[in-house]
Amino acid sequence: MTWYIVRRIGQSVAVIVGVMILTFILVHLEPGSTARAVLGQKATPAKVAIFDNTYGLNRPLPVQFWLYCVHVVHGDFGISYVAGQPVSTLIAQRLPRDAVLIGISTVLALIIGVPMGLYQAIHRGTVRDDIVAGTWFTLYSAPDFMEALLLIAVFSVHFHVLQPSFTGGIASVGGLFADPNALILPVIVLAINSVAGFSQYMRSSAIEELAQDYIRTARAKGLRERLILTRHLLRNALLPIITILGLSLPNIVAGAVIAEAIFNFPGMGLLFWQSALSHDFPVMLGATLIIGVATVLGNLAADIAYGVIDPRIRHAVG
Amino acid sequence: MSRTHRIAGAAAALALATLVAACGGGSSGPIGGGSVVKGQKIKGGTVTIAEVGASPNDIFPLGPATNSNGYNADLTLGLWPPLVYSGDGAQSIPNPQESLYSSLKYSDGDKVITIVLKPWKWSDGVPITSRDFTFAYNLLKVNYNDWFNYVAGLFPVDVAKVITPNAHTVVLDLTRSYNPEFYTDNVLATIPLLPQHAWDKTSAAGKVGNYDETTAGAKAVWNFLQGQGSDMATFATNPLWKVVYGPWKLAAFQSSGYYAWVPNKNYSGPDKPVLSEAIWTPFTTDTSEMDTLRSGTSLDVASVPLNDVRQIPALKAEGYSVAQVAAPGVAEILPNFYAPVAGLLLRQLYIRQAMEYLINRKQIVQKAFAGYADPGNGAVPVAYGQQWDSPLEKAGGPYPYDPAKAIALLKAHGWKVVPGGTDTCIRPGTAADECGAGITAGEPLTFQLLFGSGTESYNEQNAAIQSTESLGGIKLTLKSEPFNTLVSTTGTCNAQSHPASICDDWQLQQYGYNGYLMDPSGAGQFNTDANGNYGGYSSPEMNKLIDATEYGSSNAAFFAYEDYAARQLPLLWLPNAATVFVYKSNLAGVTPLNPFSGLYNPEVWYYTKPAS
Repeated sequence: MTWYIVRRIGQSVAVIVGVMILTFILVHLEPGSTARAVLGQKATPAKVAIFDNTYGLNRPLPVQFWLYCVHVVHGDFGISYVAGQPVSTLIAQRLPRDAVLIGISTVLALIIGVPMGLYQAIHRGTVRDDIVAGTWFTLYSAPDFMEALLLIAVFSVHFHVLQPSFTGGIASVGGLFADPNALILPVIVLAINSVAGFSQYMRSSAIEELAQDYIRTARAKGLRERLILTRHLLRNALLPIITILGLSLPNIVAGAVIAEAIFNFPGMGLLFWQSALSHDFPVMLGATLIIGVATVLGNLAADIAYGVIDPRIRHAVG
Repeated sequence: MSRTHRIAGAAAALALATLVAACGGGSSGPIGGGSVVKGQKIKGGTVTIAEVGASPNDIFPLGPATNSNGYNADLTLGLWPPLVYSGDGAQSIPNPQESLYSSLKYSDGDKVITIVLKPWKWSDGVPITSRDFTFAYNLLKVNYNDWFNYVAGLFPVDVAKVITPNAHTVVLDLTRSYNPEFYTDNVLATIPLLPQHAWDKTSAAGKVGNYDETTAGAKAVWNFLQGQGSDMATFATNPLWKVVYGPWKLAAFQSSGYYAWVPNKNYSGPDKPVLSEAIWTPFTTDTSEMDTLRSGTSLDVASVPLNDVRQIPALKAEGYSVAQVAAPGVAEILPNFYAPVAGLLLRQLYIRQAMEYLINRKQIVQKAFAGYADPGNGAVPVAYGQQWDSPLEKAGGPYPYDPAKAIALLKAHGWKVVPGGTDTCIRPGTAADECGAGITAGEPLTFQLLFGSGTESYNEQNAAIQSTESLGGIKLTLKSEPFNTLVSTTGTCNAQSHPASICDDWQLQQYGYNGYLMDPSGAGQFNTDANGNYGGYSSPEMNKLIDATEYGSSNAAFFAYEDYAARQLPLLWLPNAATVFVYKSNLAGVTPLNPFSGLYNPEVWYYTKPAS
């Protein structure tokens, strides 16, 4: 297992370096003058020269890349061209907030989706199964911006019971909870799209497990159905969910740009989107790197968790 | 000499541009209008102002050359207003009551300016003196290239010397004469005074000295203040930024753009805040702002994107009043006089005239901007003020919508006109009745119009222009790109920069509007090789007329320039969208908005309760 983890970490580092190189090349392939994009149409040649000199954009690309790598190794992602702030600061402000918002919605989706999937598996092929699946697939297939706007129209504009946005400024993660009313709608919207996925994975996995010999044995031994489901079935059926959770780590880091835009929640998604629109290379590179790291770590965590929960896997790779 | 607009106004204009950028549809109302609020004045209260996309990131009032964030001016104007306060209500004139000067005299052929300061005080009780002016001047003299507002040739390099005969008098000896109106409105209105007694130091722990009096010291102080000015985490706590002379002090700031002002209790000016707090809360998108307004929450003042003005009745039902203010600037289609082939066509005045005759500006105002726009009759907005609007502009400009005249013009210059199709040149040559220099037989009259994507009003406007131009056989192909892509991939084209890829790739551009300061001078936009003259327009007569407005002293010079520009069409004039906004109906003093000083002036606002 240890060798397996070391090998996976080695692969992860190689992937991250590859992501850095690819991203650096891609963002610099973007046509046009970065200085003009940031300073605006009235930027004089003198101001463009100062800008390029300040941010090292007048140096050869390989030199820029080398310096970027050196700085990243020292934890310095550079300065945002637009915000004028260290990229690490911008990310540090937004990432925890996204983690909390998307984390809460993921937990909510799990709380609803896992029992729902189990319920469907137990009642597979019945009208109840079809109704539950149909309901969640309908919500899943509806665009999240539409769901968000509908919920706002009903609960905020019509009934005035829920806040449609964060208006008080969010200085910290704690600030999110200063106005819990504003958290409700974004959490619901983000959860809706995850519930269908969780419940269907859970359903498929549970149906597969229900056909296994150990379940039949347990039933033959006269174990109560509730115990069979919670002690035997649930643990094994949860394995695919762990994989999904691991793979959803990049989503937490990358933010949820649509929900952030609609609910006035300045997070990673908007940061990345706005940086792409404004040629803010350091932010694009920093955010991509963080998302790349999260993807690799998510996979690694899922693999390790898989091994911890299922000894067969641990033994196979060890 | 290259000129461009100065930053305070440009910043306000930029903020305004951002506000109007996504505008479209709705009912119309008077420019600067709003309801009259009646009732008893309430002392205190908090006002919350919503702004879309607003995220200031630098608090030092002399921002660096690499920072073009217009919202920084919104943040700092209430703390350190410039020497000359721009705008009296919505009027494009200085406001002497709010300004720091008690008198401003031009002498020696308008080459010497004597400024007498009012006996006002900094928020820490120290008197404001002429030393505070020389402190700002000394810093700029050494560091002007790193100042975003610096315009080549203007302040501080146009100052031969500064004399301070006493603590309240500053004498500026300029290197040449200027039109006093131009210099006051567009130069002195961009320069704040800085507290020498608190800021003349090179480190946070260092002592205050006279470092600014040497070149090395001025550089060190500048670098220190710039560094502190960009540290967003300490905007509200840094002792430097506690020393202000405006009506407000910064009480809270978050990097998201949320900030709060509280009254400067030692403010010496006439309008002492009645409110106890003004809060700016940023919105990521128009949608989230509109949803919040309609949900009956605590927003007191907010801009309304034109795309959403049809929701105004619903906002009124939520207890809001509605008003609008003209954007200080000119909207246009920018022709590239150096584009291959198309440039040869666009150099012909008669072609530009025909194109302008084929733009139905009145229809665009109503359909694309729902009535919330200046008609765009020429180089100066009609609503700009009596002193700036010539009779020609007020009468509708030289080229009102008239397809018949456009067709007649084209036919008279050797074009086969095919309404709904594409005109072709049938009489090449340079005679008066021929197509013009460089235009060959069979040349089609076609152009590509490049514009910023994402604004429905502009989509509607440009589709309308495409449609009406085709009535005269002028074929426009529309192409939209994200604004930043547009800005970064197209560049200024003139005799120096041509040929280059940034010149060759565009023919016509439409991207919003060019902001003006109080004096809507053409300097920097239409004179040859000016920084804002992106399309390479060049006319010795225009240069002469602009110079007269900038350096001469005749008030008639402005109208002469304005009418010449309107007729010459260095740009194709378009309607310019206004800013529409809503405010709580029990909030008084909000209108008229001042577009020259950050739009919002909460120091004159107050809540009312119904008279009992």
